[in-house]
Amino acid sequence: MLSDVTFDVREGELLSVVGPSGCGKTTLLRLLCGLTPPSDGSVLFNGKAVMRPPREVALVFQDYSRSLFPWLSVIRNVMLPLRRAGLRRGEKIARAEAVLQEMGLHGVARKYPWELSGGMQQRVAIARALVSRPKILLLDEPFGSVDALTRTELQDVLLRVHGDFEERRVTIVHVTHDIDEAVYLSDRVLVLGSAPGRLVASIDVELERPRVQTATRSSPRFLAVRNEIHDVIASREREAGHLGV
Amino acid sequence: MTAAFLNRVGRRLLGAVVFGAALGIWEAWARSEPSFLFPPVTAVLERAWQVWPTTDFLTSVAASLERLAAGYALGAGIGIAAGLLMGSLRAARRTLEPLVEFLRAVPPVAIVPAVIVVLGLGNGMRIAVIAFAVCFPVLVNTVEGVRAVAPETRDTAAMLHLGLAETIFRIYLPAALPSIVAGLRVALSIGVIMVVISEFVGASDGIGHYILFQQSQFNVPEMYGGILFLGLLGYVLNRLFLLVEDHLLSWHFRAAGEPTR
Amino acid sequence: MKQANLVGWLFVVLVTGLLEVGVRLFELRDSVPAPSAVLRALAEGVSSGTLSGEVGTTLESYAEGLGLAIAAGIVLGLVIGSSRTLLEASSIVIEFLRPIPAVALIPLAIMVFGLGLPMRRFVIAYAALWPILINTLYGARGADRLLHDVARTSGVTGLGRLVSVTFPAALPSIATGIRVSASLALLVGVTAELVTGTEGIGSYMQRQQLAYQLPELYAAIVVTGFLGYAINVALRRAERHFLFWVGEGRLAR
Repeated sequence: MLSDVTFDVREGELLSVVGPSGCGKTTLLRLLCGLTPPSDGSVLFNGKAVMRPPREVALVFQDYSRSLFPWLSVIRNVMLPLRRAGLRRGEKIARAEAVLQEMGLHGVARKYPWELSGGMQQRVAIARALVSRPKILLLDEPFGSVDALTRTELQDVLLRVHGDFEERRVTIVHVTHDIDEAVYLSDRVLVLGSAPGRLVASIDVELERPRVQTATRSSPRFLAVRNEIHDVIASREREAGHLGV
Repeated sequence: MTAAFLNRVGRRLLGAVVFGAALGIWEAWARSEPSFLFPPVTAVLERAWQVWPTTDFLTSVAASLERLAAGYALGAGIGIAAGLLMGSLRAARRTLEPLVEFLRAVPPVAIVPAVIVVLGLGNGMRIAVIAFAVCFPVLVNTVEGVRAVAPETRDTAAMLHLGLAETIFRIYLPAALPSIVAGLRVALSIGVIMVVISEFVGASDGIGHYILFQQSQFNVPEMYGGILFLGLLGYVLNRLFLLVEDHLLSWHFRAAGEPTR
Repeated sequence: MKQANLVGWLFVVLVTGLLEVGVRLFELRDSVPAPSAVLRALAEGVSSGTLSGEVGTTLESYAEGLGLAIAAGIVLGLVIGSSRTLLEASSIVIEFLRPIPAVALIPLAIMVFGLGLPMRRFVIAYAALWPILINTLYGARGADRLLHDVARTSGVTGLGRLVSVTFPAALPSIATGIRVSASLALLVGVTAELVTGTEGIGSYMQRQQLAYQLPELYAAIVVTGFLGYAINVALRRAERHFLFWVGEGRLAR
C-alpha cells in the first residue's frame, strides 16, 4: 500500500499530509499511532519504536458518530482517556469540562453526542483527544463530515489548539485531501502519490501566524504554495499513468 | 373529527369487527352442530372465567414462569458470555465454531430424553432444556453484534488503551446491545415453547401440563382455555419485553433517529 | 470457499476424546454413553436403515407441513399485504393467533386427527405458517412504491402486479421467514413425535430412552442435528441461487 515513505515530524509543528484518494494517507496515520505495524521499516517516537499506540499520541477520526460512544454522555466520553490517570473523580470531571470550554462547547456536558450537531460532535472528539494532554495529535480527515461553514470554524479551532492553547504546543499531523486546507493550517505539507503511496514532496509553507481565513488565503504566498502542490500531484499522477486527478 | 382520524379509527374497528365476526361464526356453528371437539366460544370463556382465577391454576402458571425465568436467565447468560468471547477473539471463534454450529442445529426437544436420563423428570431437567434452547439465538446475535462494531470504534478503544476485558464490557457489549436484544427477543418465544414441551413430559404442574392433563380428561373447554391463556401469556411477555427493550436501548433509538415505541 | 477450520474440528475431536476418557474413568455409562459407543450405534443405525427410516418418516410430515405453510403463507401474505384494508381487517385475528405456540396445540391436534401423520402435518403447518405469513406481509408492504408505480404505468394490473412485482420484491423477507419456519417446524415435528410415540425420529428417541439404550439415543440426537444442519444448508444454497440479485448484506450468512 505504501512504499518508500521516510520523513521526520518535528516537535511542535503542524504537518499536513495530502494526496489523492487511496494513496494510503489513512494507513500512514495508523502506522504513526501504532494501530497497524509496519511490514517493512519502522516508526520511531523519540527514538523508540512504536509497537502499539503510545500514551502520548491521540487520534481523531473523520466519522465522529462511530468514534464517540453513543451510550455515554459527552462528559463521560471526554473523561474516558483519564481512566488510568490516577485522578480523583472530581478532578477528572473538572479537566474534562475545562477542555470542553476550550473547544467552545458550553452546557453540553450532560447531553449525548448524537444530540449535538456534526461540528459540535467533532469538537467533542477533539476535546476527548486533548484531555489527556497528548504530545502528538493525529487527525484523519477530521472535517470531511461537516458542512463547509463548520469546516472553516473547525479549522480555526485546530489552529487554536496548536498555537496558543495553554501555552503547550502540541505536534499535529493532519491528513486531508483538501489542499487549501492543508496549506492554510500547516507549517509543512507532505504530498503522497498514489498506488503505491509514495512520498513525493515535502513543502514548507512559511506563512505567518496567526492565520486568518480571509487574509491568509488570499496572500500571494498561499496561492504559490497551493499551486505548487497541485502541480506536484498532477505531474505525479500523469507519471503514474492516471488520467487526471 | 378529520377524515384521517375517522379513517384510522375505522380501520381499527374493522379489525375488531372481523375478529368478532370470526368468533361469532364459530359460536353459531358450534351451537348448531354440537361438536365435542369444538365447543362454543362462550363455553370456553365460561370455564376460563371459573378456572383462571383459582389458586391451583395460578400456582401452576407461576411454576411455569419460574422455570422460564430460570432457564431464560441461564441460557441468556451463557449465550451472552460465550457470544462476547467468540465475537471478540478470533481464536475463540474459530475453535468453538464447528461445535456451536452443530449443537445449534439440534432441535432442543431432541435433547430432552437425554437430559431426563441425567437429571430426572424434575425442574432441573426443564431449566436445562430451556437454557439450551435459549442460549443459541442469544449467542449468535451477540457474536454478530460484536463483529459488527465499527472499525473506528475498535480503533478508539485501542487508542484509549483499554485492556481486553474493559474493551469487551465497556465497548463491545454496549455497541452490540441492539443485536443482543434482538436475539433475546427471539429466545423469549423459544423459551416459552420449551417450557410447554418440558412440561409435557412427567410434570405435575405448569401450563403445558395443564393443557395435556385437561386433554387426557377430555375436558375440552378447559383445554382450549389453557391454550388461550398460553397465547395471552406469550403476548403479554412480548409486550413487556418491548418495554424493557425501549428502556435499555433508548440511547440507540434516539441516536439512530428512530422513534421509540 | 472458506478454508477448513482445522482448529475447530480439532477442538471437537478433543472434546469427544475427553468425554470418552471421562465416561470411562468416572463410570458414567449409566447417565452418559461413551462417544465410541455412540459412533458404533450411529454406524449400525445408518447401515441397518433404522435411523434413516425414522428420519425419512419425520421428513415426510415435515416436508408436507412446511410445504403447506409456505404455499399458504406466501399466497395469504401477498394478498393481504397488497391491500391496506385487508391488512387492517386481518390484523387482530393474526395478532391473536400468532402468539399461540404450535406445541400447545398438539393435545388438541391429537384429539382431532389422531396419532398419525395428519396430526403431525397439521401442527407443523400451523407452526411454520406464522413466520412465513408475517414476513411475507412485511415484504409485501415494504415493496418499493416506485416499483409499484412503474408496474402501474406499464399497464400491469392487480394479480399480474402481485406476481411480477410484489412477490419478487418481497422474496428476501419471505426467505428469512422460510428459514425461521424451517427450524421451528422441525422442532414442532419432533416434539409431536416424542409426545405421541408412534413413528419418526422423535418417538424413536423416546423409545430408546425408555429402554435405556443410551448410545442409540445419542446417535439419534446426532442424526437429528445433522438433519437440522442439512436443512439449513440446503435453504441457504437455495436462497443464494434464487436470490442472486439481492445484496450480500440481506442474505443469510
